[in-house]
Amino acid sequence: MVLNNRNAAAGGVGFGRLPRLTALFRYGGPAAVYAVFGLLIGLPLALVLLQAVMPGLFAVGRGDWFLSLAPLARVFASPAMAGSVLHSLVLGLLAAFTTTALGGAFAVLVQRCDIPLRRTVSLLPWLVFLTPSYLKALAWVLLMSSGGYLAQLGILPPSLGASFFGLAGLVFVHTLSLFPLAVFIIGSALAGLGSELEDAARLSGAGPLRIWLRVNGPLLAPAIVLSFIATFAEVLSDFGLASTIARMSNFGVLTYGIYAAASDYPVDFPAAGAQALVLLALVLLVVVADRLLRRRADPHLISGRAKPARLYDLGAWRWPALTVALIVALLALILPLGAIAARALTSTLGNGLVFSNFTLSNIGAALSPDTPANDGLLRSLFYAALTAVIASVMALLLSAQLGRSNPVMRTTVLGLSLGAVAIPGIVLGFGYILVWNRLPGFRDWPFPQYGAASLLVMGYVAAALPYCLVVILSAIGQLAPSLTDAARLHGIGALRRLVSVTLPLILLSVVTAFLLTFIRTVFELPISQMLIPQSGPPAPTLILKLFSHDRDGLACAIALAAMAAAGGTAALIWYPLNRALAFGRSRPPTTPARPGEPS
Amino acid sequence: MTIKATLGLALSLIALSIAAPASAADLVLYDALDFAAPVAKAFQAKTGLTVDVVEPGSTGETLGKIAAEGGNPRFDIVWLDGSAVMERMAADHVLQPVPADAFDKVAFTDLGKSLIPQSHAFLPTGTSTTAIEVNTKKVEAGKTPKSWADLQGFAGSVAAKDPNLSGPAYQWLAGIFQTNGVDAGKALLTKTLTNKSLSGLSSGGKVNKAVLTGDAAVGINQDSAIFSKIAAGEPVVAVYPSEGSVSLPQGLGISAKTQHMDAARKFIEFVTSAEGQAAMQNGDDTDFFFIPIIKGVNAKPGRETNITYTHLDDQLASAHETEWKQWYKDNFVQ
Repeated sequence: MVLNNRNAAAGGVGFGRLPRLTALFRYGGPAAVYAVFGLLIGLPLALVLLQAVMPGLFAVGRGDWFLSLAPLARVFASPAMAGSVLHSLVLGLLAAFTTTALGGAFAVLVQRCDIPLRRTVSLLPWLVFLTPSYLKALAWVLLMSSGGYLAQLGILPPSLGASFFGLAGLVFVHTLSLFPLAVFIIGSALAGLGSELEDAARLSGAGPLRIWLRVNGPLLAPAIVLSFIATFAEVLSDFGLASTIARMSNFGVLTYGIYAAASDYPVDFPAAGAQALVLLALVLLVVVADRLLRRRADPHLISGRAKPARLYDLGAWRWPALTVALIVALLALILPLGAIAARALTSTLGNGLVFSNFTLSNIGAALSPDTPANDGLLRSLFYAALTAVIASVMALLLSAQLGRSNPVMRTTVLGLSLGAVAIPGIVLGFGYILVWNRLPGFRDWPFPQYGAASLLVMGYVAAALPYCLVVILSAIGQLAPSLTDAARLHGIGALRRLVSVTLPLILLSVVTAFLLTFIRTVFELPISQMLIPQSGPPAPTLILKLFSHDRDGLACAIALAAMAAAGGTAALIWYPLNRALAFGRSRPPTTPARPGEPS
Repeated sequence: MTIKATLGLALSLIALSIAAPASAADLVLYDALDFAAPVAKAFQAKTGLTVDVVEPGSTGETLGKIAAEGGNPRFDIVWLDGSAVMERMAADHVLQPVPADAFDKVAFTDLGKSLIPQSHAFLPTGTSTTAIEVNTKKVEAGKTPKSWADLQGFAGSVAAKDPNLSGPAYQWLAGIFQTNGVDAGKALLTKTLTNKSLSGLSSGGKVNKAVLTGDAAVGINQDSAIFSKIAAGEPVVAVYPSEGSVSLPQGLGISAKTQHMDAARKFIEFVTSAEGQAAMQNGDDTDFFFIPIIKGVNAKPGRETNITYTHLDDQLASAHETEWKQWYKDNFVQ
């Protein structure tokens, strides 16, 4: 099927404008989506999951195809593994709830309230998003352990430190590190909401509370649920906290079980596959539950005519609101970054924050050219930029195809994407090795090749594509069909419609997808580990290696440099673009779609 | 347009693959040792042969990658801590025996000779052992433990690696069972490792962290990791238990599928030469503090080498490996 599609692609370029290919376009869209998903995610995942029921598939020596339920039975028979299923579920649900609540409140606060320093505060989610979960987890370990920085400073009562290492601490750190996701998802829906409906409700005499409960709330419901599911999937697939705080708290979760099964020779493939299967089943369960509970179609919000909503005047409550936002900033960003910076600037951990312990040698090593640390950093920035371009363009094209197809297809793809978010990187990475180094046909295929940077980038794209799809698809889903219908009635072709009607309306979402991918990829750990190119390691592998080889000072220094570089690059792209868009919007009302205009 | 995207993707990936061909080097080395990259660099400078150094992370992660590659290994040589795992890879025909003449060229010490496996699955390049890591800020000088048995006095505050995730930790566990007897050994550990959040750590770095942050007063750790921390100025000491220590060799293995046997031989020659040994010590991280096993090579300053060894019965250890690891997991992990 994949090959067929490639042939179709090769043929399609030459004859792209022939009318008879319109049919291929119409049916080719869903087919392309399936092909991309199948090759990038489905096949590698299937090879890992299949081992849950075919334990002998990749056995040493000669594999066999015997079906067996033994691996799954083992998961539920072993108290430790069954416990980790329950742990993952409880942690995922709790953290998804707290994260969505915090993120939703934060989005309303910065987008709809006149708090002081609003622009500065609205940067916070992006900055938090810059710090990868394994670094934040390490930072909190440095802060909260009994000999850690907070205890050294005398701020932390020992009892609090002890209770931190458990479910409460995990929910706390997950919430603080994932709330940007909820802000992005709910915030973009809020932006599309505009003020017309609200104004109408107000003119009919509804108070603010009533407006939020009866008008805005229901309209935002899809975004809120999406945020809940996405967070749940993120928590379930997280490995950063699972391998640090959860491990230290003796709180076994599924991802760590998969890692443990996959980190030995020989690998316990069946156990890894069975646990991955259970993990994905949990995410699927939540997606299906959502579809069953909430059958109404998602509302189309962006009409191209929406006026920006007006800000609420909080009066005296502005300052308490700002204080709350600053506390979130302190806990989510300043403290963890401070701990990482402190570790990067000190030579030993045990001697703590005393003057004689400070050093600049770690930072120096990370920034000097021609050191392994610096090479890794540059490599990662390049791979991440390439991945972000490929993933966001692919997501845009696939979303455009899907936006017009039937709702079942869209739901399926959205569900697939969310399921894919929940695939732990280590599972995907393993699947990639199995496909590209073990499967006959793929093994000898010249491109991409296992061991080369091409396969690493392909793995990165696979990990990022679901996210980009969720972001862009939800923006396209909000477009009122009237916009593209109008263009189509004027005889505008599909490509022109996409470039000159759809793209301008959702440009911010596409750029969001691009930047999210860029930043996440700079720090993507498990795939970097499994698909590390022979030409040299990317930054995350290097950082992790330094941690596991006990050089956390240098690791923290590289991480700081990587965050600064990724953040700086993102800001360089975001600000000029945001300014240009704001300029475009401040002009007198124009319909974004002007069919006569050359594109 | 999906069509164009597919083509665009293919083109950009092709560009990338041209920029970075998969294996142009003379040797591909998989390892999880701090000194491997500097040694490869020195080798490259001396012989002109290029080496791609691939380091996915810890020993476990490297092993996971090798296991996933299965019968189609992509490395030429592998360099790791742990003898048992090398034997397993050789038994699965992932590794081929190191040629006998490669051993003959090396002037091994008696300790070194004792580490050469009969199967020739790997060539030992150095060794280390397990010791008790003591935080001198947490434990008064008079109360320093002297033996594994003394650790009972620190019950609940002992950090240890999970043998399921660490080859050296398994050899330590098998060593305890050998010196104490299995039942007495199990009883001793049950009384000592009473804090599950400290007794199932995944790496030596985490044991160090637990001891340095004070979460644990003492740890059971690879001694080279402790010496590296001492050299860095951390307040810890290494204590060798009176029961005796089991040697944890690190070795070089050769892929069964290598196309670069000559380069692999040259690499082994270089590593066991004076120059190679100097490169193996030219750094301050854990693995640089190994115990040399070649005549005329001294350990890094500060590294203890006067250690009483007990010889681990490898056959007994590997016969019970699954059972003992499971026992440890059930009792001290999760």
